[in-house]
Amino acid sequence: MSLILQGLALGVLTGGLYALLASGLSLYFGVMRVVMVAHPAFLFLAAYLTYTVHTAFGVDPFLALPVTVPVFFVLGVAVQRLLVARLAPDNLAMMSVLLTFGLALTIEGLLGTFYTGSYRSISMEYATRSLTVGGVSLPYDRIIAFAVAALTLGVLFAVLVKSRFGRALRATIQHPEAARLVGIPTERVAGYGFGVGLATAAVGGTVLALITPFFPASHWVWIGKLMAIIVVGGLGSVVGAALAAVLLGVVEGVVLVTVDATWATMMFYVFVFLTLLARPQGFFGGRLAHRF
Amino acid sequence: MARVHKGLAIISLCALGLTACAKTDEPGAAQSPGQQQGAVRIGISLPLTGDFSEPGKGIQEGYQVWADRVNAKGGLLGRKVELLFRDDASDPNRVSSDYESLITQDKVDLVFGPFSSRLVIPAAKVAESYNMVFVEPAGAAAEVFEQGFTRLFYAAPAIADDHYDYLADHLVKLPADQRPKTAAYASLDDPFAQGTAYGLRDKLAAAGVETVVDEVYPPETTDFAPIAAKIAAANPDIVVGGTQFEDAVGLVRALQELKVQPKLAAFSTGPTLPEFPEAVRGAAEHIVSPVGWSATADLPGNQEMVARYKQMFGGEPNEDAANGYTVGQIIETAVAAVQCADPSRACQDKLTQHIRQATFQTVVGPLSFDDQGRPEQAHMIQQYVDGKIEIVLPEQARTAELVYPKQAW
Amino acid sequence: MRIASRGLPLLLAALAIAYPWLVPNYYLVYAGALTVMYAAMATSWNLLGGFTGYVSLGHSAFFGLGAYGTGLLVTRLGVPWVVALVVSAVLVTAFAAGVGVAAVRVRGASFVIVSIALVSMMNLVVQGWRSLTGGSTGLQVPSPFPGLHRGQTHMVFFYAFLALLALALLVWWYVSRSRFGAGLRAIREDEDKAESLGVPTGAYKVTAFCLSALFVALAGGLYALWFGSLDPIFVFSILIGSYMVLMSLLGGVRHLFGPLLGALIVAPAGEYFLIALGETQIHLTATGLVLVLVVLFMPDGILARLTRRRAGPSIPDQSADQRLQEVTP
Repeated sequence: MSLILQGLALGVLTGGLYALLASGLSLYFGVMRVVMVAHPAFLFLAAYLTYTVHTAFGVDPFLALPVTVPVFFVLGVAVQRLLVARLAPDNLAMMSVLLTFGLALTIEGLLGTFYTGSYRSISMEYATRSLTVGGVSLPYDRIIAFAVAALTLGVLFAVLVKSRFGRALRATIQHPEAARLVGIPTERVAGYGFGVGLATAAVGGTVLALITPFFPASHWVWIGKLMAIIVVGGLGSVVGAALAAVLLGVVEGVVLVTVDATWATMMFYVFVFLTLLARPQGFFGGRLAHRF
Repeated sequence: MARVHKGLAIISLCALGLTACAKTDEPGAAQSPGQQQGAVRIGISLPLTGDFSEPGKGIQEGYQVWADRVNAKGGLLGRKVELLFRDDASDPNRVSSDYESLITQDKVDLVFGPFSSRLVIPAAKVAESYNMVFVEPAGAAAEVFEQGFTRLFYAAPAIADDHYDYLADHLVKLPADQRPKTAAYASLDDPFAQGTAYGLRDKLAAAGVETVVDEVYPPETTDFAPIAAKIAAANPDIVVGGTQFEDAVGLVRALQELKVQPKLAAFSTGPTLPEFPEAVRGAAEHIVSPVGWSATADLPGNQEMVARYKQMFGGEPNEDAANGYTVGQIIETAVAAVQCADPSRACQDKLTQHIRQATFQTVVGPLSFDDQGRPEQAHMIQQYVDGKIEIVLPEQARTAELVYPKQAW
Repeated sequence: MRIASRGLPLLLAALAIAYPWLVPNYYLVYAGALTVMYAAMATSWNLLGGFTGYVSLGHSAFFGLGAYGTGLLVTRLGVPWVVALVVSAVLVTAFAAGVGVAAVRVRGASFVIVSIALVSMMNLVVQGWRSLTGGSTGLQVPSPFPGLHRGQTHMVFFYAFLALLALALLVWWYVSRSRFGAGLRAIREDEDKAESLGVPTGAYKVTAFCLSALFVALAGGLYALWFGSLDPIFVFSILIGSYMVLMSLLGGVRHLFGPLLGALIVAPAGEYFLIALGETQIHLTATGLVLVLVVLFMPDGILARLTRRRAGPSIPDQSADQRLQEVTP
């Protein structure tokens, strides 16, 4: 029983991290109906940059964020304006997958060339200790990851709900034509949407670097998992993706401690197919999500 | 229309007639004598990119150090050694096509093996069907030797299942009150990594050590905390990880976080890499692993290799580099013994026969092979003691005492 | 003009048949067989992708299942290889029908994601089911022609893959002229409209999905017999699936010979990058950039871009309404 509690607790913490990692994917899809296969590759780009900052200056990895977040925001805007916006709208889903697949390969190749194929890892003092609450151990690095994820997502939701930009962004997500009619510069908003999405990748990459060793090809593992999360959550729904992330994190954690790792990973895909059969638009997604 | 057809027919007939017999590279076809005067060209496919790129790099460096030394001494049979590397991008299609092209297109004189048990089998199939002798540095899984290959030799002291033999013997011989009673095993789903862990598991289980956790995780696993939680719940005396680098680090961290304190922790390849102690911080202390080679061992050519490696690449060579170097040493000795280094069947047969019966003095110790190409020696056991890697088993090679039980991490 | 457009395919066919005799060594036969295999798979992929616009990145699932099915029938049950090949392809097609019913419920991006999920799932199943498949140690399939030496085996399979390619091309051509094909095209143009006009879109999509899976599974089965060793993480790889897409796209998805042309370019180019830039990982970047450039500047493929004329049978440009008129009674 305590084992299941432990699995549950770890699952919640991991799920929080998944929510952060998947939030960018939901944003891209929301603003542009684009499936960004390169998102995990950008995560590891951020992880490597964090590593460089950490080893070169000997500072805490989180101090890399003031550098990486703006850089990634600009990168995101550039990717949208220079690449994605040029794709023909009638077959955007297909072309965007291929385009971003090309980007992922490009990034992986560059990382391999600059950093070689060796494993890198950042391990901080706090990385190996844990907090014990009622027989359940909560590793500090997971707690930090969860906290950072929650904080980032909190800021993201606040921006989306409260700010003028957030309203424009949501309007663009919900109904681009109508948004344009009422005077929202949807093109520019979509660019910023990408920027924000990649900015979350900068934060996510730093957190990932703290909890797991990485090498240039690490991003492949994450593509399937993160994609599964946004399908279950409902494409384009940031809140849905966050809820699905926690749900799948918990399911994964419990299955890992009760069955084995193969079945735990399998759960992601089982949920994708269950979602398709039961609610093709995703459990938390909008009515029309499956049409895109 | 008709004209085109006629033209086509003529063209294709001419082409067929001219070239039908042009393929001269029947397997093992002899080369023109003139070619023998040039360099000895050795074809090698390695995973320089992709999942296995890290150890692939080490083996490449080992090969290069060997070639550098041989060339400094005047080459093989007076001919320079030239290494032709291909990147197989950790892909078995590529590894086959690399050896296929090296053998039939580049017409190399010899081939050396690639990395990883998963790539060795397809590569060895190619070499075998062209009758090339195939000494390889990294296909340790038991299955490699069960394919009926007749020209394959593994250039390290022991196959995966036997890596922990000294440790198993040592634990079994401990007095009953010190002997571990329970053991937890977690292994990557990979023939090599699993082979090492299961070799130890089977021997300990036979001696009455109860297996309390036996986990297998797929290569894409990134989260080890739940596996560690399972181990924590069973509270075993010893923890064995059939690991490579990434998962070894992940497991050690997760075990620490979940406050698992075994008396002995053994992990397969991760701890033998120089990045390991830093990646796990202070936790490396007293972790044991099987190792086929030691930088400090007093074996023929070992110090020379270490020095040459430092000079060429800076830094310390690792076990992969040593294994690559060992392949070179075996071929070098065999070539000197049979006085030929060309791809003709006669020469490759002579090399194969020589390697099968001889014993080779290498940087990993004396090596000899059984009929399937398995090496007949054993891996040593290393342990981090006071932050340094020491050989703790077997007794004749040891540089420090095995610390058991280990300190808390 | 007409002679050129009729004669060119014939010339190419003659060249393809003569190819193993023209090249100087067996490596080139091997590389040729691999290229033709990719061409056959890309053409089969295009049965779904080209007609309906549904992009599957996961067709390597069918490739892998076809390969493992054939391999397991031969090694575990001792079935003759021809029977194993056919039976496994039929089984995979039946499986594809099941998956298709769920998968084609979603469109566009969701479908792409589902296809990725499918490959990852199959990889986990085959890798995890150790007692049946051998798991990570792989499955070794004995050669169906033990009497031939390696080079001769390459020749045999070169022609086997060539035959498969011809079959796939023939089916694509036939579908493109059929009512069924017109219905599929209508789905690509405007699925809702097609449905409202009475095109049985669900059944059509599943049929196209199965047909496409069938030929990929056959290619997988032949691969298993030819290559002889299967390993789940390499057979069920997203990269193999994405190669099929890249080849089709580069050549032109609306053209009969588009995927074939794409395969003829991509396979040797990949080889070239690896040899020319193989010392570092920069060759991945080169491949990635080529993909980005193709998507940005040649989204309709080379055949559409370079020859304004129609090179071989292709899907004409029509408005959705014109197309719908063809299919509605």
